[in-house]
Amino acid sequence: ECGHISLPTSTVRLGDSITASCTISPNCSHLGPESQILWKLGTQLQLGERQQRLADGSQESTITLPPLNRPRDLLSCCLRWGNSVQILDQAELWAGHPPAAPHNLSCLMNLTTNSLICQWEPGPHNHLPTNFTLKSFKSRDNCQTQEDSILDCVPKDGDSHCSIPRKYLKLYRHMGIWVQAENALGTGKSPQLCLVPMDVVKLEPPTLWALAPSPEVAPPQPGCLLLRWELWKPSLYIEQKCELRHQPQLGEASWALVGPLLPETLQYELCGLLPSTAYALQMRCVRWPLPGQWSDWSPSLILTTAQQ
Amino acid sequence: TPLGPTSSLPQSFLLKCLEQVRKVQADGTALQERLCAAHKLCHPEELVLLGHALGIPQAPLSSCSSQALQLMGCLRQLHSGLVLYQGLLQALAGISPELAPTLDMLQLDITDFAINIWQQMEDVGMAPAVPPTQGTMPTFTSAFQRRAGGTLVASNLQSFLEVAYRALRHFTKP
Repeated sequence: ECGHISLPTSTVRLGDSITASCTISPNCSHLGPESQILWKLGTQLQLGERQQRLADGSQESTITLPPLNRPRDLLSCCLRWGNSVQILDQAELWAGHPPAAPHNLSCLMNLTTNSLICQWEPGPHNHLPTNFTLKSFKSRDNCQTQEDSILDCVPKDGDSHCSIPRKYLKLYRHMGIWVQAENALGTGKSPQLCLVPMDVVKLEPPTLWALAPSPEVAPPQPGCLLLRWELWKPSLYIEQKCELRHQPQLGEASWALVGPLLPETLQYELCGLLPSTAYALQMRCVRWPLPGQWSDWSPSLILTTAQQ
Repeated sequence: TPLGPTSSLPQSFLLKCLEQVRKVQADGTALQERLCAAHKLCHPEELVLLGHALGIPQAPLSSCSSQALQLMGCLRQLHSGLVLYQGLLQALAGISPELAPTLDMLQLDITDFAINIWQQMEDVGMAPAVPPTQGTMPTFTSAFQRRAGGTLVASNLQSFLEVAYRALRHFTKP
């Protein structure tokens, strides 16, 4: 090895400086007795402050670099050789900030994937490679005491969400959860959430159907609509309440809300509407009376009321 | 937290138990449907003789039956029964690749339910001094025995849960 750069660290805060040394070994065949060691930061050639011959015959140059103002730079140790400048070793320098504490951590229990999906805001960019880890533990009480920790959830690169699989969850017990950000300059921790997975269950919306008139079903009154709905099948074991909203397809009309409604209804007549008018109808449901998160609104069902 | 009509237990705990019973029932139904579809084992009554030979134990729920309804006794028996079914389901491991995910989900939900009851009993100071054990489990020596055993266990589990559900419904009534 002809030349070797030594650094106390390869990562510093933006605006900090760093002192490096480069040692050129005596058996580097091109080394003349008074060869001058040069430094290149990016493309800029610089002299070291001090160059000395060591006992073993090698040469050592030391340089204190100016405050680093670029997140990434290359420092090269070079030797003047004839008319050329030979690069003998190179080191990568990083400059940035310690990670900010991630914030706005929230979680939802997803019954489709059977996993607890948590998302967060990573905070401002700190210019350094940063690892995020979702950490959690099971707890007997309200997360005051930690029972046993759960496997770290490591998101894919650049993602600000992570899913904890069902087999690591106790659906009806408390768990403490937080996000940890880590880079070469330090660690940032989000505030800790304490939740029960099933209490943050978010259901898929129900399915709305028009109810066609038939021998058993009388046609709707003017200004009324006949409809029915079905709960999302994987949530049938969960007691729920639902609400319906409707909006006439007329200019800038606003939504009107109807609820709470029973989760299972084979036939519902919605009245008090404008006759011969097209309406958009949507429905959503939530676990109830136990806690839960409202589902999204269902896709719109467009129905037209009977004439007067 | 508002207490249920049977005073010592929170209403939310009883509602969660009902939800967990329904969840385990749904898992059990999924297992039965897959056993029927994949292996044509659709009628447990055709496997009664084999069931006796295999020695598949059943869980008593006498304190949950309408004749002798008693909350804490019922919870204890419910918990012991769930522990028994945890053991039975573990004994069915290797049942078949198609059924494994369904069996895993059923085991996870039964384990969750058992822990939920046990910790609630501990919280109100009514947990037995010694946690129940699974007892001797049947040995299934062939793939067919595991699938037949699975059909019987799933069917017994549904009956067990039905009794538990009626009792829990009674305990939650205002």
